[in-house]
Amino acid sequence: MLTKAERERYDRQMMIKGFGEEGQTKLKQGKVFIAGAGGLGSVTTTYLAAAGVGTIRVVDHDKVELSNLNRQILHWDEDIGKKKVASAAEKLTRLNPRVQVEAIEEVITKANISQLVAGFDLIVDAMDNLPARYLLNKVAIERNVPFFHGAVHGFEGRAMTIIPGETACLRCVYRGAIFEGKFPVIGVTPGVIGCIQATEAIKYIVGIGQLLTNRLLVYDGLNMKFTEFRVKKDPNCEHCGELARGKK
Amino acid sequence: MSITINLHPTLYQFTSGQTTVKVKGNTVGQCLDDLIRQFPQIKRWLFDKTGKLHNYVDIYINQESSYPEELAKTVKDGDELYITLIIAGG
Repeated sequence: MLTKAERERYDRQMMIKGFGEEGQTKLKQGKVFIAGAGGLGSVTTTYLAAAGVGTIRVVDHDKVELSNLNRQILHWDEDIGKKKVASAAEKLTRLNPRVQVEAIEEVITKANISQLVAGFDLIVDAMDNLPARYLLNKVAIERNVPFFHGAVHGFEGRAMTIIPGETACLRCVYRGAIFEGKFPVIGVTPGVIGCIQATEAIKYIVGIGQLLTNRLLVYDGLNMKFTEFRVKKDPNCEHCGELARGKK
Repeated sequence: MSITINLHPTLYQFTSGQTTVKVKGNTVGQCLDDLIRQFPQIKRWLFDKTGKLHNYVDIYINQESSYPEELAKTVKDGDELYITLIIAGG
């Protein structure tokens, strides 16, 4: 049930066909886990909080540095040295005090991931490395929770939505670890990709539209092109394939 | 037998700015061999020292994933390959 203030606050989005008060109530009841409070995390958390997602848990172990500020828009000059999750929680709460923001300063590991995501309906990938993404992908499949992948590099980004048991997962598409270090990026790129991830999460919760499943969307900002690639569930996938399911 | 390879922007530096390259081959592997024949510097970006594709290389045939066993996948006249690179920043 929405309050009078909530009806007013979300009036414009409730006007969208198929959304209405029912959709807004679903968002209010929604619990979204966001792994990372960096470039992608700043954008996804901001738009999910603005849209009225009831509970957002954001996990990150870093502190804000000056070199983060070109892209991590939740963190400002005054936040340098603060925990990213504390900085994020403060801004998100100021943006929308009706949203419950849970800020957890932790490194996501194989040992704690299951506990961290417990009780959450969606997992948003806002990480900066593939091993952590594989952990999220795997736990999403094990817990049957949708997983919203995004990644950026320079002016390039990609996004894909994974519905466990139904669609291709990250491991069906990617073959393994890649070299990772300090990567180039400009803030508009996580802006674009984070908005796509947040759009997908909102659509999933409300239950409208077509999800970005079995499709990998690649964004090339320099040439301003979006290319969609079809991907398939791999029956031998080590995360979601037959053998993986047998091991559970 | 003509196949068009759409290159990732990172590879344009090796093709004098060409964004696509026409190649010949019956498999993805043969097409990549022909690409390397034309632009030898691309080889190290695609393959490691043992001849395996690097983990970050992501290849699509007519916008459909060719993973796994990409190199063995067959192609036909008029097909388009896309070489993209997996990224991991956030």
